[in-house]
Amino acid sequence: MRALSLFSFLLLAACASEPADAPAPEAAPDAPVETAEAPTPGATAPAFTLVDTDGTEHSLADFRGQTVVLEWLNYDCPYVGKHYGGGNMQALQAQAEADGVVWLSIVSSAPGEQGHFEPDVMNARTEQEGGQQAAVLLDPDGTVGRAYEAKTTPHMFVIDAVGTVVYNGAIDDRPTSDLADLEGATGYVTPAIVAALAGQSVDPATTQPYGCSVKYADEA
Amino acid sequence: MRVFLLPILALVAAAAVAQPDPSPHSDARLVADATRIAPGDTLGVALEITVEEGWHIYWINPGDSGQPVAVDWTLPTGAEAGSLRFPPPSRYEVAGLVSYAHGGTPAFLTEIVVPDGASGDLALTGAATWLICADVCLPASADVALMLPVGVTERTGALDAARAALPTSAADWTASAAWVDGSYALTLNPPDGVSLDGATFFVDQSGVLDHAAEQAFAAEGGAWAVRLAASDYATEPAAELSGVLVAGDTAIELAVPVSGAVAAATPPRPGQSLTVWAALGLAFVGGLILNLMPCVFPILSIKILGFVRGREQSPAALRAHGLAFGAGVVVSFLALAGLLLALKATGGGAGWGFQLRYPPVVAGLAVLMTGLALNLLGVFEMGQRLASAGGNLDRHEGLGGAFLSGVLAVVVASPCTAPFMGGALGFAVVQPAAVALAVFAALGVGMALPYVLLSFRPSWIARLPKPGPWMETLKHGLAFPLLATAVWLVWVFGGLLGLNAAALLLLALVTVGMAAWAWGRSARHGVSVRAKVLGRTLGLGAVGGAVALVATAMAPPQEAWVPFDAAAVDAMVADGEPVFVDVTATWCLSCQVNKQTTLTADAVRQAFADAGVTTVRADWTDQDPAITAFLDRFGRNGVPLYVFFPGGDADPVLLPEVLTPGIVLDAIAAHAPQTASL
Repeated sequence: MRALSLFSFLLLAACASEPADAPAPEAAPDAPVETAEAPTPGATAPAFTLVDTDGTEHSLADFRGQTVVLEWLNYDCPYVGKHYGGGNMQALQAQAEADGVVWLSIVSSAPGEQGHFEPDVMNARTEQEGGQQAAVLLDPDGTVGRAYEAKTTPHMFVIDAVGTVVYNGAIDDRPTSDLADLEGATGYVTPAIVAALAGQSVDPATTQPYGCSVKYADEA
Repeated sequence: MRVFLLPILALVAAAAVAQPDPSPHSDARLVADATRIAPGDTLGVALEITVEEGWHIYWINPGDSGQPVAVDWTLPTGAEAGSLRFPPPSRYEVAGLVSYAHGGTPAFLTEIVVPDGASGDLALTGAATWLICADVCLPASADVALMLPVGVTERTGALDAARAALPTSAADWTASAAWVDGSYALTLNPPDGVSLDGATFFVDQSGVLDHAAEQAFAAEGGAWAVRLAASDYATEPAAELSGVLVAGDTAIELAVPVSGAVAAATPPRPGQSLTVWAALGLAFVGGLILNLMPCVFPILSIKILGFVRGREQSPAALRAHGLAFGAGVVVSFLALAGLLLALKATGGGAGWGFQLRYPPVVAGLAVLMTGLALNLLGVFEMGQRLASAGGNLDRHEGLGGAFLSGVLAVVVASPCTAPFMGGALGFAVVQPAAVALAVFAALGVGMALPYVLLSFRPSWIARLPKPGPWMETLKHGLAFPLLATAVWLVWVFGGLLGLNAAALLLLALVTVGMAAWAWGRSARHGVSVRAKVLGRTLGLGAVGGAVALVATAMAPPQEAWVPFDAAAVDAMVADGEPVFVDVTATWCLSCQVNKQTTLTADAVRQAFADAGVTTVRADWTDQDPAITAFLDRFGRNGVPLYVFFPGGDADPVLLPEVLTPGIVLDAIAAHAPQTASL
């Protein structure tokens, strides 16, 4: 079809309004072809295996067939504090669990950096905050965070049952650490979960994440 | 917080424990540029924040993380503060994440207009909030205030340094930006002597550029060019790049429209984009082809014969004449392009890069292509009266006359050039202004070239092909590529809105055909006035019909669901009518999933319509008691609940809580009333 229109263009210079690129007939964007690609919506989510605070290993592949939410976490970040302090994050986690969605919180804070705790301390913090996530995964060397290009805490990813990224970005549309901004905010995670369960794409599928920067180990 | 046994002690302790500093590692104050201010005057006010060494606070666009400085003003009645103006930021990189932020003592300026009726003291207060980070981030706030006597204005230089630090306007700079192969190409022409080596462009909106990406400014001729990587969180190219360019001590405010941002959010793959040069080349060839059109070719002869008849003219004069004529042609084309661009500008400047994702534009182009093809096929003609002006072509004297006759030639040729113009228009509409102008200019150059050549080499006239029926054939043949383009546009339209919409657009194209036919029939010689009027009315009516059809295609699908009313449902069931009830709630995730996957599916909607099923939506979000009672009837206390009353005296059917289109279709088919209403 494109060739046809290009052909017409060649035949009739001025008469073909050939655009530089045509929209794909499907709504889903093409999966990127590069390997070390950011997990943009439509791309395959980078595989990972991490140990949780109880010493159990979890791989993304274990959850094939289920929708997975990844939440980048730093309990001492004021933005994270807004969402746990206001009960928003726990409510999302509980709703996800009720819907059979796996919610994994990932901590990419390096040792000595803010938000990095030993497993037992992390469990105590989760207890204190009332976290309802399926597991808190420890990523002290930042490998998984970098694979996902996680930039902030919180930074949210929703991955569907076949391992495709459905959503990558902010938790909602109010980029502040102010508790009052939970009221009236438009959440991005729930629509993305709905879309993932329905095997559809969501709009917006990506937004600029906001929060504290992820406290990665400095790259050697 | 330690717990004390005695409340008294607790109070004492609370007093003894220092209150946490609301603005950790930083302090804020207000500074004004006057010690006294007159009513009606404008007062410059700055929020000045002193930031501890090693910490930073955030710019308008904080970058990968952070939150900009903000002030919520409380001002006397009638006083208004302008928006906060930020000094240029610096780039802070921590472990690969980049923030745009300020250290030291940044001042954030605003202007406050003192109300006319002000007297006594002016009290300006604001609640400033910011986020301060080193490797940890702390929210900070301060209530800042300033009292200023009202009187004869007495300025101070307190804000001179802060004003000097603000980015300046880019008045003597020229800048352009284009979206090319998935990133932005920014080109800047700074005034002489400004080097952009190592410069940084700070974009002032998040989600546009990749903040961490390297920006390598390179000198190209007298200009500087840089490629800017798009943000991973951008869904489509930005229509404008705005922000601050910092190069050494220079800070410039930029707002550059982005050209060439076309269609899909995915970066164009190689081989898919037509370069500007290719477009120009094709336009030039198109202009040459114009000369072979039946109503253009004679002009060539007339004009050239005019040249030749002027034997008394020296070859130099003849050449000047030819060039003037050519200039007339090119200028006419440029004027047309200008008109087009002016029209385009009124149609909304933003987002013109995405026309081919915008259904009305795609539909309009498809209609245009079809109409032009019909015109080429001779179904109807445009502007035939203009051709009779051809006789005046060689009556003009002098160079001005030659120029005018060039303009006239374009006008005279318009019945045949209109299709080409339309094509160029179609192309230009989806292009930046400069490209559109260039394409039209190339078209004009192509058309004018033979005249200019012949004015240089009059003897070549003998080599021209003879006019004849072959020209008509060529014109007809050219209609088919246009029709092919229309087909492709219909395909794009269908991709955007679905098969039904594409079918409606095709129907609209048929109507366009009818309109062209009616118009063409009415324009023949010897047709009575009444028939002419009738034909044209029909033609215009058909075009109206086409517009209506396309509008229908683009209208959102009708919501066939009626709100729940227990009495109405019972009445319909009693009458033996088929009814489907969807009991749902916004907080019910599986309800939403079923709605998306099944209840809004085309096949299901169609099946409901074919079987004459009334679809009822019972929204239980607020736990409406009437709906609770309905749930009780089926022994349920939660949603989703899907009840299908097949009609007649059949029992209601309960569908499972997880729906697929198949389940619903089977239920309808299994219980379809014997006499399906069509």
